[in-house]
Amino acid sequence: MTEEIMTTELKYSGRVAQIGIYFRKFLRMFVYQSDWKVLPIGAIIAALITLVVGKNMFVTMEGTTYGTFALSCACIWNGVFNSIQVVCRERDIVKREHRSGLHISSYVTAHMLYQLLLCFMQTLVTLLICAIVGVHFPEIGIITPLGIVDLGITLLIITYAADMLGLMVSSLVRSTTTAMTIVPFLLIFQLIFSGNFFTLGKADFVKNFTISHWGMDSMCIIGQYNSLPMTTLWKTMVKFQDITVEDEQPLHDVVQYMRENDMVDSFKVWSGAQSGNPVYDSTVANVWLCWGALLVMIVIFAIVSVVALQLIDRDKR
Amino acid sequence: MLMQWGYIGAALFDVVVLSLALFILSKKLNWEARWKAWVPGARMYSWGESLKVYRDGTVCGVLDMMYVLEMVVRIMIPDKEYVTVLALLQLILFVFVFIYRVRLFLELLKLFGRGRKWILLYLIRDWLPILILGVSNKYQPRHETIKEEHWQAGMKLLPKEDELCNAVPLINEGLSIQIRERAVREFGKKRYLLDDIALNIPERSLVLLLGGSGAGKTTMINAVIGYEKADATILLNGVDIYNDYESVKHDIGFVPQQNLIRGKDTVMRTVDDAARIRLPKGMSKEEKRKKISEIMELLGLSSGKAGLVAKKSGGQLRRICIATELITDPVLFILDEPDSGLDGAISREIFTKLRQIADEGRIVIVITHTPDRVIDLFDKVIVLARDSGRVGRLAFYGSPQEAREFFERDTMEEIVRSVNGKEEGGEGHADEMIEKYTKLVVSGHADEMIEEPMKQVVSGKGGENA
Repeated sequence: MTEEIMTTELKYSGRVAQIGIYFRKFLRMFVYQSDWKVLPIGAIIAALITLVVGKNMFVTMEGTTYGTFALSCACIWNGVFNSIQVVCRERDIVKREHRSGLHISSYVTAHMLYQLLLCFMQTLVTLLICAIVGVHFPEIGIITPLGIVDLGITLLIITYAADMLGLMVSSLVRSTTTAMTIVPFLLIFQLIFSGNFFTLGKADFVKNFTISHWGMDSMCIIGQYNSLPMTTLWKTMVKFQDITVEDEQPLHDVVQYMRENDMVDSFKVWSGAQSGNPVYDSTVANVWLCWGALLVMIVIFAIVSVVALQLIDRDKR
Repeated sequence: MLMQWGYIGAALFDVVVLSLALFILSKKLNWEARWKAWVPGARMYSWGESLKVYRDGTVCGVLDMMYVLEMVVRIMIPDKEYVTVLALLQLILFVFVFIYRVRLFLELLKLFGRGRKWILLYLIRDWLPILILGVSNKYQPRHETIKEEHWQAGMKLLPKEDELCNAVPLINEGLSIQIRERAVREFGKKRYLLDDIALNIPERSLVLLLGGSGAGKTTMINAVIGYEKADATILLNGVDIYNDYESVKHDIGFVPQQNLIRGKDTVMRTVDDAARIRLPKGMSKEEKRKKISEIMELLGLSSGKAGLVAKKSGGQLRRICIATELITDPVLFILDEPDSGLDGAISREIFTKLRQIADEGRIVIVITHTPDRVIDLFDKVIVLARDSGRVGRLAFYGSPQEAREFFERDTMEEIVRSVNGKEEGGEGHADEMIEKYTKLVVSGHADEMIEEPMKQVVSGKGGENA
């Protein structure tokens, strides 16, 4: 009897086979668990953002700064919410399945593939909304021939990195309540510490650990930020043109002169060139640096997820 | 700057006065080391300890220490940027410290028999009501309000003359269980859940695990399959489950209390995926399909198999869970309340199926709260009872008939009632029965007592009525 039943020598489904099993399971859940809802939600978020800041994105330096920051935040929002509950809501099930033969690496990889698909669809939706709203996409790409493709890849990587961050948190915590409590802190961290809007002083190095920083940088690089006109200086000059200095209005004279000689646009381009940032130089190396940083984050988040779930057997009631 | 120092001064004043208030109160709370009232962290831990709320005391102690440490760091590093970050940290800490201190304070009010309106004083200054309670002779603690037996539950093991673990040898056939102890550490305190459980279950056995609420039934089965490890040795056909789990994991089926299946998948896919993962690679697709079909048929899941799991009834959910585990033909199959939420007829049906599974040569252990309607199907009964130290121990292992004779009761429910504590509506015979059974096993009489039914089981005549 013992010999007949004990099956220690038998081989069971390997890691690759299990990835397939779980990937298909998650695909079914896309339909049954209404995961598809992330697409219209993503579309609404993209629409709201691009309606407000999309007009001047990739048109002026200021518009690009605001627009890319908002778009980057939207991607982070989408990504984090895609995955923040996916593991912790079924933690007990995963523990039982792990005890009966599930490979954690397969489970996490299946999630990664499924989430990649989800992020890809969200990116397409976001690009579509941007196009509908009339966002001026960069025409020439840096890595690929088309700017829109480079931008799409960037949006995908940002969303995916945030998604993996959510997956990592979901793997670390034991309940959906805890996961959802952590989300605001994650998002605030990404917003505040991106280093592009707020001065961080001695904590400036922290920006290197944020998805928003690298995401925004890569979008600015792809959007030819350093070649874009800057409007702030011109607007300031116009605003203060009536200032009188020793019975003269020098600013007014300059503004008038530039208007009469059709020099306003070239002035904006000139002022943009003066305040350019070498980090935003549109070079292949700069894009790869940003993408590379995000890819490294993705890998780290995935590894932490696997390691955290490997310890799932220690979970107590 | 002046404001900053003023704030730090006020906070330090509060820290010191709170320590003073606790120092005065500590006399009434019978602290062994009253000086701890002056040590941040230790003062909160001692406060919690004296009120027997260890968890809150420990958490509060850690938070208290962090809070004071943070304050010291703020004084030592006057850098503006760091001060802003630290102030934010302190604000977050304050919320937690406040909540946990309020919880401790409410326990204190209970001890002194004071109403909740005292919380208003606490809100003015946390040390104020503590100081009043400590100084005034009018307010005296009512120590009897703390139920010693509750907070001491499982804190220590009762002395034993004999030990089952020494008397029952491990064997290489069937399931051999030796749980020396199962304990958890809660905030530094060791709490025992199970103690001295030893028994050997032969193949072809359907075993009922009985015991009152909190006797440790679920803890025991979790320990047996290594789901929550204990200080134990568990052998399944000679393989140590703890040390060599990989080689037996496909031989163990476990249906826990809660349904561990995904609601948003179809019944068929749920069982099919379980089969794909748990069945050996060597099995052909046709064999796997046949196996799934058999299991679905056996458990009455064939109709509606395309439906979503979440849409199924409680009984169907239990059966789906059983199906996902049963698919591998486990050598050891453990079910924690498989009949919960099921009516009598379906329940009987499930137990009859479990009987069939056991008859195929497997070991099936079941926890159920309605044992008497299906007791005729079982070969053995394990009775767990919580002793006076509130630790789960083995009160009996043998056939149902022997159990009736041993406990001098007619039904399994009466047996459970006899070992349940009086505060739970039971008769409180746990200690007596544990001792009686241990003596019986140690003296060797238990072997004689279970010899005959074991012979029946081994010869394939499973079931009491067989």
